[in-house]
Amino acid sequence: MSRRIEAIITYAILTVLAVAVLFPVATFVGAALSPDRAGRLVGGLEWSNFATAWQEADFARAMTVSATIAVSAVLGQLVLAVLGGFGFGVLGVWGHRILYPLIVLGMMISTEAIIVPLYYQFRSLGLTNSIPGIILIHLGMGVPFGIFWMRAAFRSLPASLFESAELDGAGALRMLWSIALPLVRPAITTLMLLSFMWTWNDYFLSLVFLHGDNQTATVALGVFQGRHLTLFNLMAAGGLIVAAPVLILYVIFQRKFISGMLAGALKE
Amino acid sequence: MSHLIARATLPGGGASQARRRANHNPRRRNRRIGLAFVAVPLVFYAVVVLVPLAQSFQYSFYNWDGVSRATWVGLGNYIQFFTDPVLQSTLSHVLVLIFFFSLLPIVLGLLSTALITRRRLAGMAGYRFVYFLPQVLTSVVVALVFKRIYSPDGALNALLRSVGLDALTRSWLGDFTWALPALGLIGTWATFGFCMVLFISGVSSIPTELYEAARVDGAGPVREFFAVTLPGLRPQIAVALTLTVTGALRTFDLVWVTTGGGPGTATLTPAVALYRAAFVNPQVGKAAAIGIVMALLCLVIALAIGRVAERD
Repeated sequence: MSRRIEAIITYAILTVLAVAVLFPVATFVGAALSPDRAGRLVGGLEWSNFATAWQEADFARAMTVSATIAVSAVLGQLVLAVLGGFGFGVLGVWGHRILYPLIVLGMMISTEAIIVPLYYQFRSLGLTNSIPGIILIHLGMGVPFGIFWMRAAFRSLPASLFESAELDGAGALRMLWSIALPLVRPAITTLMLLSFMWTWNDYFLSLVFLHGDNQTATVALGVFQGRHLTLFNLMAAGGLIVAAPVLILYVIFQRKFISGMLAGALKE
Repeated sequence: MSHLIARATLPGGGASQARRRANHNPRRRNRRIGLAFVAVPLVFYAVVVLVPLAQSFQYSFYNWDGVSRATWVGLGNYIQFFTDPVLQSTLSHVLVLIFFFSLLPIVLGLLSTALITRRRLAGMAGYRFVYFLPQVLTSVVVALVFKRIYSPDGALNALLRSVGLDALTRSWLGDFTWALPALGLIGTWATFGFCMVLFISGVSSIPTELYEAARVDGAGPVREFFAVTLPGLRPQIAVALTLTVTGALRTFDLVWVTTGGGPGTATLTPAVALYRAAFVNPQVGKAAAIGIVMALLCLVIALAIGRVAERD
């Protein structure tokens, strides 16, 4: 009996909190579908808002830029993370006592500490307002978490696996490619999802480094809302377009997102 | 003389022997190959993070407008950070944000964790999905969602009007007193779900025997919370504190999209001040100094919380 009451209280609290999270999002979705410029829920649903916003804000171009950056950054970060993680986790690295802490320290270095020289140095190299330039930045900044993550994944594999491969004369690359990689696939999927989310959702770096035609979707959305303060329904529709890729992945891979972010936060 | 000869011949012989041994010792050979593997990401990391970090220190000692010649000012930029009233105000804004981004979500998260049953419930995955939603929404969208809610004809004012509190309605983000707490509540909304999921997962790893022992001792739910749950969640609380406090210190996107630091400088944060000094109205040395101070504060906060969490 008391178990039952306990369960009811639990569900009541969980539901109240869930509504508190969902309510603001729901008003936004409602506004995106509203025919009213102020986004009030009057009259029917206006699905054409998405098409109108897409054209008005030139989202086709901005989404392409964002996709190019995110996909390149995810693939590049993955390669770097696998190389570094396998080096530290399986092969062992000459000088690892200094090198590993130096790399992991990067997880604690905030973007603000490097952004100023990064911008002015890249400017003198002609790498500002350049998509390869910002991909390079995402690659470098993704190294600490990537190596930390993949090292943990490779270390969880039994050492005997590699010892026997070594006796068979397998080289490091072959051990990585044919033995280790197939076994750490789940960790790789999580890493790719997290790094896609981080690069796609990035606002600060894009705002600093990219302008005009090279604007990413997040920055373009910010510009659009500044220009059309009175067209709230279109702005909300644009917001949903920009949020959609990550949201869709989140719906499909929710477990991986949540467990990955918790594990990343706990550094376990 | 014979000593010298012996010494002179030894290193060569020793070295080639060592080399031969190294080739036979897979461990040592691997460590060199390992270094080659690590070198690739290390180069990217050095170019993008380590070198600019060092340059940030260098920049912070100069006065530079981004175009003409830089002049050495020593610690001038740092002294300015702690004496300029506007920059100082950004630190007090951070304190307000810490209350909303960090303390409030953690207390809310702990409270709800304590109130819900520890047994596995059906449908938990669905709730977790909802609580984590703000974490995956891009910050610009979060900012737009709340910019609308706080606007003069937004949901908050509509709610106040519907219960007859018309006198309280205002443009929340345009108000000198209320803009900062209003921004803070966005942070509360965005982080409390994360804290709660973190705590719920932490509670499930506290041994059940501890709860049984507390119950045998006749502890009520309140004492059980303070004697078992709270100490058991120490690592999770430390993580939540570190992430949310540094998050509050580094707030940029939310402020830049909603208020731009205004009205006046009422919601100016260190990161917005840095952005303005670096790119809007270039005083590059000052911007670098703000960045260095922020990074040091983040580091000190993380180390201090970690130290306190480990101590018994």
